[in-house]
Amino acid sequence: MRRIIYHFFILAGLLSMISCARRPANAEPLSEDAPIFPDYKEVTIPVNIAPLNFSLLEKDKGILVAGDKVFRSRRGVFRFSPRKWRKMISKSGDNGSINLEIFVRRDGKWLSYKPFNIHISQDKIDPWFSYRLIPPGYQGWQDMGIYQRNLESYSEKAILTNDLTGGNCMNCHTYMNGDPSKMVFHARATFGGTMVVNEGEVEKLNTKTDSTISALVYPYWHPSGDYVAFSVNKTFQSFHNHDANRIEVYDEASDVVVYNVKTHQIAWSPLTKAEDRFETFPTFSPDGKWLYFCSAEAVTPMPDKYQEARYGLYRIAFNAEDMSFGDSLELVYDAPAEGFSVSFPRISPDGRLLCFTRHGYGNFSIWHKDSDLWIADLKDGSVRPMEGVNSDDVDSFHTWSSDGKWLVFSSRRDDGLYTKPYFTHVDADGNATKPFLLPQKDPKSYYKRLMRSYNLPAFTTGKVNVGKRKLIDVLRNSPGTDVQVKQ
Amino acid sequence: MNRFALAYREQQQLFMFDKTYLWGTLLKVGGLATLLARFIVQFFWNPTAAIIITLALLGLSAYMTWAYVRDSRKDWGLIPLCLIPSIIIGASLSDNSLHFEYLTSILLVQGALLIYKNIKSRKVIGGIALSVILYLTAGSAALLFAVCTLFAGLGKDIKTAGINLLTVAAYGVLAFFSAGVPTWTAAFTPAQYYDIDSTLPAFHWAGWIALPVVVLASRLAVKFRLKPWASTLFGLALLALSFIPATKFDKKMAENQPRLGYIFEYYTINEDWDGLVKACEKAPWLPRTANYLNMALAWKGELADKLLKYDQRGADGLVMTTKDRAVDVAQAHIMFAMGNVAAAQDVAFNTLISLQGYCPSMMKINAQVELMRGSYEVADKYLSLLEKAPHYRGWAKEQRKFLYDDAAIEADPLLGNGRRNLEAENHFIMYTNPMTELFPILDANPTDRRTLEYGLCYLLLAKDLNSVKHFILDYYSSPDSPELPRIAQEAMVFYSEYSRNMEGVEPFGLDWCYEHGVKQETVTRFEEYKKAAVAGATALRRFRGTYWYYLVHTQI
Repeated sequence: MRRIIYHFFILAGLLSMISCARRPANAEPLSEDAPIFPDYKEVTIPVNIAPLNFSLLEKDKGILVAGDKVFRSRRGVFRFSPRKWRKMISKSGDNGSINLEIFVRRDGKWLSYKPFNIHISQDKIDPWFSYRLIPPGYQGWQDMGIYQRNLESYSEKAILTNDLTGGNCMNCHTYMNGDPSKMVFHARATFGGTMVVNEGEVEKLNTKTDSTISALVYPYWHPSGDYVAFSVNKTFQSFHNHDANRIEVYDEASDVVVYNVKTHQIAWSPLTKAEDRFETFPTFSPDGKWLYFCSAEAVTPMPDKYQEARYGLYRIAFNAEDMSFGDSLELVYDAPAEGFSVSFPRISPDGRLLCFTRHGYGNFSIWHKDSDLWIADLKDGSVRPMEGVNSDDVDSFHTWSSDGKWLVFSSRRDDGLYTKPYFTHVDADGNATKPFLLPQKDPKSYYKRLMRSYNLPAFTTGKVNVGKRKLIDVLRNSPGTDVQVKQ
Repeated sequence: MNRFALAYREQQQLFMFDKTYLWGTLLKVGGLATLLARFIVQFFWNPTAAIIITLALLGLSAYMTWAYVRDSRKDWGLIPLCLIPSIIIGASLSDNSLHFEYLTSILLVQGALLIYKNIKSRKVIGGIALSVILYLTAGSAALLFAVCTLFAGLGKDIKTAGINLLTVAAYGVLAFFSAGVPTWTAAFTPAQYYDIDSTLPAFHWAGWIALPVVVLASRLAVKFRLKPWASTLFGLALLALSFIPATKFDKKMAENQPRLGYIFEYYTINEDWDGLVKACEKAPWLPRTANYLNMALAWKGELADKLLKYDQRGADGLVMTTKDRAVDVAQAHIMFAMGNVAAAQDVAFNTLISLQGYCPSMMKINAQVELMRGSYEVADKYLSLLEKAPHYRGWAKEQRKFLYDDAAIEADPLLGNGRRNLEAENHFIMYTNPMTELFPILDANPTDRRTLEYGLCYLLLAKDLNSVKHFILDYYSSPDSPELPRIAQEAMVFYSEYSRNMEGVEPFGLDWCYEHGVKQETVTRFEEYKKAAVAGATALRRFRGTYWYYLVHTQI
């Protein structure tokens, strides 16, 4: 037995000597940045994020020196075990960095790319985030689902996939301040209805009323959990023959209403349901006293004048005591006056920063290449683009983490079509760091074979635990509760 | 079994040698049966191979049934009885909404039955293990295993078989509550192998219950010492009694038999335009058939020349658009042939994701259009996926040379032409009429012969002679224009003659016709046509195939 153990250790030692890489000596430095995917150079990451594996975008075999550890690329990928990753992060110290240097062997000699850093923020990110995976298509939705991903690992779970519900469309999943026990989403077509998940209870709503132009659409929870603001939209989609934006999604009419979770009633103000305006994308302020939304002068006929619809950012007072609205609108940001349009206003949990998407026209920014993230400081009223975050392609739908330190958003910067989630750290003044792509075990292969877009990324403070079976049964079998209009 | 219907199954999936795809499929309830089915179906691009492989598998199924029910190696008489399930399953496979895993799951069940039969000791544990493994790998067909062991027992081993049944039931319940399957019917019936939430035609139950019925019949035959032919009759009688309503192809199943569509798609995917013309010749007046026929003529460069050789019945014969354009492979192919590549991509993308995976021909169109657009990262994504499928690897690798090479794309006849078509003034596609979209495309790329002929033929078939005249002025009047097709010459000669007497039409004479490509020979023939028209139907016969005949004698 001793002999076996002895030989085992000898063999293990030999194997470790073979597999361990060393920092190449006398490497010739290159003036180029390391060609890696995802581009994690100089990004800021939360201390609790999963290992940021990445690929070297060239055929040469590479060696990576990260801090005091040395890694060899395997099939072009530098992989970090969770244990080694945690060690590297813990060694970087408070708000420290991991220094990385990549070496490649070419024509018999070692070359080294410009070293770079991955900066570590001690601000932890919410451990879960959820999203819809859907083909970036044009009308079909045969293969879609709402998923959640643990950001501290690579674990992904389906909350609900449409192969279980007749291949229907499901959209607009939204949580109350990242609370995984309060969720709302819609199912369309087969087994349609709005699903409200509230502390383990699942309810299906039939939300079309005679007084509203459509079923409820874009939602946002009131911080009390008693209300959800929704838009109602008459939305259409057209496909461009030859335009970088490919698809145009436009409203022919839209309004904003508020739904009372307890009474199943909806109410609105004449100012959120004006005949001559399009109102959409409602958002409550963190104190629940204001309802923000985007509003544009109504444009007809559509789609002929789709480029003339420009939305500004407005707010109206909301009284949660009696579900009533203020009697005047406040203009928060007059984007049309600057020749632009805004969508998806989202306010940081401390109430100071309002992040929105700005683009040339219309409201469906995910198809607009010029969509960028902007930030409004509600304290001093200043508005500015999020420097260092935006790309030449679409940068759009975003949500704040529960502590307001992180922002996740959708971007098409990599291939122009398939949306991927990027994360950025935002400080109290709204300054953001270079965003990083959602880590994967083998990101290059994963994202290359992925035929679906990450849609509506949303942080949650924990795992969404509502049972799939429960959701399926309610969707399939419940007749649903009819939403009433508050008189 | 229709070999083209079987072959079309290959277009309903894209089997890929890809770790994520393989594991993703395998880890679902019934995943192994699905994976086996998809692996096999990838070879169905050849219709003959499709039928040979399917028949071989059905033969294997029959053999395994016999191997299970026989008591000795000489029980040859049971073979006819054992063929019954395979024959019924074979008939069921004509319905392409019934997935091929219907067959592979039954094969897995039969394999498990043979293993079970040979377990001599600890049969309870073996039965439970097989039931569990079967449910995970084959899905609801595991119920067949349990029922077969119950019938095979017939007095002996009844407890073990009962445990198998309970195990399968327990796993079905588990699959239901863990949302591995959407409904109770999917957990325990062949509905699991049918298109999501579609109503399962009753006929498919016959193949499902045939296996346990055959097991029961063979056991009863042994018990009552029946002759083999008697046991076969007995088995058939049992099936008939239990499934009288299912012995006919019910309406739903008949609706799933677009046999002609499968044939047309086969020739289209393989770009066998002569084959497609031949297949369409039998009923060219049906709009969808005419769509395929005219597309084949267009790819052959003969659309305008041979259009009226066939019985055309209006402009719908060029492209029949449906209200819901979400899933329509034919329309994607036709739009692509027309040169309306943006519309082709819109339809092809929606059609790309079939219920069982990606449709390869739609993936190819998407890859080609992305190359035309210069969206190389997206094109690379599609090509990478196609490279993981053995049958498409060569094609995908061949396309790689175009990635990031604008000059190569512009020099390529297909991709370069498509790129020039995309330069048309921007508009929303398929917003009004797909044909009106051809005009800006022609303005951008007047050299696209297919688009040119589609546009001209559309107006001719619509009998819109004034627009034909303007079309000729716009697109056939430059020195570089191709020769004016005969049917367009005929249309203009006719219009010239009658324009003199028509209200609201600016009259024009033969001089205009001659200036715009009409030949003297056409004018001469028109004189003969007029005489024949006066003489009567017999004299007119030789003018069939002319535009004059179509104009006067075809109701649209």
